[in-house]
Amino acid sequence: MAEPGPPTPVTCAGCAILCDDVTVEQIGETVRLAPPCGLGAEWFSERVRRPANAPAATIRDRPTDVETALARAAELLRGARRPLLHGFGGATIQDAQAALALADRLGALVATDGIDGAWPGAPAVPLRGASTATLGEIRDRARLVVIWREDPETTHPRLLDRLGFGAGASSRMGSEPTLMVVDDRDTATAQRADVRFRWAPEHDLVALTSLHVLQRGLALGTSPLGAELQGLLDRVTDVPHAAFMYGPGLSAGQGGQRRILALGELVRALSHDRHVVTLALPSAAGTRGAQDVLAWQTGYSGNVDLASGHPELVTATQPLEAGEGVDVSLRIEGAGGELGDGVTAIALSSLPVEGVEVSIRTAAAGVAATGTAHRLDGVPLALQAPLPGEAPTAAALLTRLLAEVQP
Amino acid sequence: MTAIRISGGRIHDPANDVDGEVRDLCVEDGKVVAEVGPEARRIDARGMVVMPGGVDIHAHIAGPAVNAARKLSPDERRDHPLDRTEVLRSGTGGLVPSTFATGYRYSLLGYTTVVEAAAPPLAARHVLSELRDTPMIDKAFLILMGNNQVLFQLIRESGGAVSPRLRDAVAWWLQATGGYGVKLVNPGGVELWKQSNGNVDSLDDQVAGYGVTPRQVLEAIGGTVHELGLPHPVHVHANNLGVPGNADTTLETMRTLAGRQAHFAHLQFHSYGGKPGGQPRSRAPELVDYLSKHPETTADVGQVMFGPAMTMTADAQVSAVLRDLDGGKWINHDTEVETGCGIVPYTYRAGNYVHALQWGIGLELFLLGRDPWQVMLSTDHPNGGSFLSYPKLIRLLMDSAFREDQMGRANQRAIRRTALLDGLDREYTLNEIAIITRAAPARRLGLTDKGHLGIGADADVTIYHDRADREEMFATPRYVIKGGELAVEDGDLRRADDGLLLSSSAPFDPEVSRVLEPLFGDRYTVAFEHYPVRDPALREPARIVEAAG
Repeated sequence: MAEPGPPTPVTCAGCAILCDDVTVEQIGETVRLAPPCGLGAEWFSERVRRPANAPAATIRDRPTDVETALARAAELLRGARRPLLHGFGGATIQDAQAALALADRLGALVATDGIDGAWPGAPAVPLRGASTATLGEIRDRARLVVIWREDPETTHPRLLDRLGFGAGASSRMGSEPTLMVVDDRDTATAQRADVRFRWAPEHDLVALTSLHVLQRGLALGTSPLGAELQGLLDRVTDVPHAAFMYGPGLSAGQGGQRRILALGELVRALSHDRHVVTLALPSAAGTRGAQDVLAWQTGYSGNVDLASGHPELVTATQPLEAGEGVDVSLRIEGAGGELGDGVTAIALSSLPVEGVEVSIRTAAAGVAATGTAHRLDGVPLALQAPLPGEAPTAAALLTRLLAEVQP
Repeated sequence: MTAIRISGGRIHDPANDVDGEVRDLCVEDGKVVAEVGPEARRIDARGMVVMPGGVDIHAHIAGPAVNAARKLSPDERRDHPLDRTEVLRSGTGGLVPSTFATGYRYSLLGYTTVVEAAAPPLAARHVLSELRDTPMIDKAFLILMGNNQVLFQLIRESGGAVSPRLRDAVAWWLQATGGYGVKLVNPGGVELWKQSNGNVDSLDDQVAGYGVTPRQVLEAIGGTVHELGLPHPVHVHANNLGVPGNADTTLETMRTLAGRQAHFAHLQFHSYGGKPGGQPRSRAPELVDYLSKHPETTADVGQVMFGPAMTMTADAQVSAVLRDLDGGKWINHDTEVETGCGIVPYTYRAGNYVHALQWGIGLELFLLGRDPWQVMLSTDHPNGGSFLSYPKLIRLLMDSAFREDQMGRANQRAIRRTALLDGLDREYTLNEIAIITRAAPARRLGLTDKGHLGIGADADVTIYHDRADREEMFATPRYVIKGGELAVEDGDLRRADDGLLLSSSAPFDPEVSRVLEPLFGDRYTVAFEHYPVRDPALREPARIVEAAG
């Protein structure tokens, strides 16, 4: 895409849906996606617009060469008492594999769930399990889609389109499913809803457990939500297939794990005489894949501590609570977070990073580097490299760092 | 590469009719050779037993289902940490070990080749990524095709017969994914589970909306694999797994495929008499009898071992049954167009009638079977138990006194309903163990370089102390040589090589893409052009076995 050319078919890594039915075309400094997606176009544009003279690496925000920066990063990691590897929002499977190899050697803390507790619902799955499906299953079977306190129209703009809603959507069911939104905010998604429930977030746990009570045919007693909940349940039990979409809106904050558990129990109970599934909506394209790699390499998903010489699951809601004393952090293709004072930060990033000890520019996966990524439903997809670039991949840099820190 | 002379061992190489012959075995450059030079490393194997490396024809070690099981069970692995060393990665063991631990532990057990038996084609990149992180062993995977909506359409168009279009499509799918063979799981039934929590009862039930029956799927796909001459025949997980009375379905499935090469997975789970909803009983003798008359049909047993297991299957309806029995953890995952998946942790208890019957039926299949080349060892890892229980299973087969002791601990009402108390005192010989754990699986997989120690074979060799306690013997090989290099010595891993990806290839008309592309566009949420795995980093290092057809 250095020069205008014909639209190139790509997989868009602008969000966790990883739409691979997309063509991308560069027109000046902007990028046009077809089918159109503002988030995806902006994601590509951000990575295309990066100035040609941007430094390949920095140390304390001063430009340097990659080799010098790598040497400094390796020195920091070798000397670290309690290293942390985190980020992964834009990481490929290959990046995550290389990161885990380095983390294992360092005995590092690894946080793929984010370091700020934004996604603490994941630990609920090991407790009871889940019923899930790929996007195509939901598109072609679900007659009711419930979006629970998320706004995919903003965060995953083509989700509803890909699930068979709206003009141009392609559902094999022939007609649109019903879109139900549970949210007290007037979001873009809520505005498209066929059915809305507007209770406040603090009622979610009671609502979910009460739905379970109603599902079992028991009386709810006095509840301000009683009529609404019965209405919601009736909608679900009216159809042979339903899907619940959720994310940080349900899982974040105090009680998040309990809310996810309650949703899981409800879905499990409903599944006895119909097909009901859930699908989590992480925002970043690399999160699901990084968690999958962490699971197959360590046996645990989410956040893992390798300090003892073997993997240990971090169950703290916020991994930094378990990683007290982190002195060096290595952020891999992802957003930062509040690391606190006394942490020396290294970043491998395709976007400019400031305020860290060492940063090294990487080739953005899906723009200037190929790789594999896992869609939010776990489907693995290839990322293409429509834009030629000279920066190394995060995986290549991590492999170099591993060689540097080997005893 | 290393040259090694294995000196004075007792060689069990049934594929070459060698049964306990004491002689030297030489390996060089990754292959078995006639002779090596004097500079070759010498392993003194006097008094030891030498066999080809083990070949597991049916296990679940990689892919989205296996990984979901890991996520589901952190508590199960917490007590099985694996520390990193200078050459080894850290990990966790247990019923569903992490990838590195899986490779290491198979190698420590003397196994050098393992087949992942159920991979959704759509998840091929995931499977390949995990297999790349599974060191020490060569590995292959079978792709799930028994509930594929695109293939349903092609089968309906062909009237249930093999057609050129089907042959091209199956060959295309193998090429697109890097798969080694074709697996059918509950043909038609999984689609009905995803449609309506339903299932099929018989081979002639209609798969609603597709106009095909399980029998047509078996005939069309089984026949296609047979005609393509793929190195491994169609690998069948028959309908009605676990249902009392399912032996009728299994026998009917075998008859449907009669005359064509076919391998039946975890036959134990398909050998039940009785009536649906009632108590099962054993019909293993009838299945053994069928096998004895049909050399084109083989099976692995899927032995149940008492203790914890992790059930995971594309036959997701079965998992829902277990969920309701157990009330514990449960995962269901529906994969568009292709398959389902269910996962339930489970414990087989010796005192439980059904579990003891399953245990007994597995042993019946082993012990009543007349030809060990037809009945291969598996626990359907981790469904019937971990692959780490293979040494105990071998002891059950080789040591009748031990078996009787174990029978005495199991539910007696169940044991009485098997043939185990009818004077069945057979003890497997070392050569028979070599057949069911390496020679037969390798031959059935069409891996001509594996499972034997003839000149030119892969230098995958396991050397055991000849111990009276066969469980101890097979749990701790003295040496394991993988690809001509010493991998294990005295229970320690000496290296951590990658191992090969084994895939198969059959020619197809590229014009089949014109047929498949619109069907993909109608059904998948993944673009047809992005479906095939093209990244060499995922597909190498590979060995491709060409179809004979």
